[in-house]
Amino acid sequence: MSDDHEVVRELLAAWAFGALSPAEEKTVPPHLAECESCAAEAARLRETVRQLEGPPENGGRSHIGDGAVSFALRARPAAPRVAAHAAPYAAAVAGLKALLLEADGRWGTPVVHDWDVHATVAHLIAADEPLAGQLGAGGRVPPAPVTDGEGWEAAWNRRTAEVIAQEHGRSCEETVADWAAQAGALLATPEARDPVLAARAVTLMGVRLPVADHFVVRAFEVWIHSDDIGRALGLTVPPPPEEHLEQLVRLAVRILGAALGPAAPPVLFAVTGGQEWVLGSADEPVQAELTLDPVDFCLLVGGRYSPDEVPRGATGDEDAVRNVLERAASLAWL
Amino acid sequence: MVVPVETTGRTSVHPPADAELHRRLVYGDESALAEAYTAYGGLVRAVAARVTRSPAAAEDVAQEVFAQLWSRPYAFDARRGSLRTWLSMLAHRRAVDWVRSEARHRKDARADDCALHAIPDASPGPDQTVVDRERSLLLHSALAELPQPQREVVHLAYFAGRTYRQAAVELGIPEGTAKTRLRTALRNLAATLAEVPDPPDPAWEKGA
Repeated sequence: MSDDHEVVRELLAAWAFGALSPAEEKTVPPHLAECESCAAEAARLRETVRQLEGPPENGGRSHIGDGAVSFALRARPAAPRVAAHAAPYAAAVAGLKALLLEADGRWGTPVVHDWDVHATVAHLIAADEPLAGQLGAGGRVPPAPVTDGEGWEAAWNRRTAEVIAQEHGRSCEETVADWAAQAGALLATPEARDPVLAARAVTLMGVRLPVADHFVVRAFEVWIHSDDIGRALGLTVPPPPEEHLEQLVRLAVRILGAALGPAAPPVLFAVTGGQEWVLGSADEPVQAELTLDPVDFCLLVGGRYSPDEVPRGATGDEDAVRNVLERAASLAWL
Repeated sequence: MVVPVETTGRTSVHPPADAELHRRLVYGDESALAEAYTAYGGLVRAVAARVTRSPAAAEDVAQEVFAQLWSRPYAFDARRGSLRTWLSMLAHRRAVDWVRSEARHRKDARADDCALHAIPDASPGPDQTVVDRERSLLLHSALAELPQPQREVVHLAYFAGRTYRQAAVELGIPEGTAKTRLRTALRNLAATLAEVPDPPDPAWEKGA
């Protein structure tokens, strides 16, 4: 009996909420009939739930609208519809805009290098600028003339420093607006919507690639820096949507393959749940197998993992594996 | 054969469906918004309707809730709870705010009405409805202030119609913990009600 008492007493709140299974439900009334204290407690709890319920609902229109979705879309537009090669960039820009809403009051948080959130966004203005310039979607800040004989990396760093210096004299909101405007202009170019136009190759940041691939590179950089900002703010930035992640991985693998050259010891490289490639020499048997998570692979190529620490599955010749990992990490320009 | 990759530690442990939906919301995929609305629109409206007693107000609350989910996706953190409970709690909070401001307006409108300040009539009738509505608002306000772990279980049990065992599974906590949290929560609410100066409600006096 007293066992019963304890068991039922514990169940009374769930009972009052109607949150018992039918079998448990049946055990309550018999006990209440013979236990005054439980009956009082039960009455008190049930009455509380009844009061929570309140009086019967008012009349009025019972029309169930589906206006919520369009209402929400007015508050934040969806990522613009563009061709597949620009979709990762469109999504990354939409994601960073959403993330930056959480940066309010925390713009000075250190992010990466010696940049805070504000400077990281300013850097992205500089980073998107070469492609924007190529496509006639130039930004607000007129670029300084390129010095003769200056390598792209020096020019890139100098330009970032220039833009950061300029943007620090402005409000964070203005900087974000400029970055978003330039990104929007890029996504509104004919090249963002037309794969044929985007097939034209241009040299940016020292690499000659079709415009379509440069869009993917832009997506890569925006996402990596979003991840940086997210970690600085204590927010988890999700990886790009699956199909976009695949595009980033495919491009990175192509660039990695070219960087390794045709003489490197061949390695069978795979991303978890995705494709496989043989990297390096095509004339020798495969010497090792290396598998990385696609996100980890991107973080390695983006310089956010060192070759030593990136989680991997590897078999075979360790030097061949190490060669691939180190070469991948050396691609980082961010 | 490719050797399986060890886990990275970056991969999430929360319900994959929520994380996947959240990922698409973050990246501005409007089909994710439509999916979230299809899955949780009914619950959100039902929660809001229970508090506001008004389908029209519930509809407004639902709009606000989904606009918030869509335009501030980072306000939801899949590591700290399910999307269902998050939306349910957000709808509840917004609905309580709606009723409070509604009540303020009503009081302003009737500021001259002396009858309101007189001792209410003991007989049930229109006044009883007013009293019930005020008690209900008081309880919902108190519910909105409960610690999140208690609130989550109440939302699943009371609004989403889960048994405490199902709620425990959904929250990833032991059944006994779900049961205890429901109990603590409801006792807190009952205590809130007990603190109210006793209105002349025969049914209540008898029932307590």
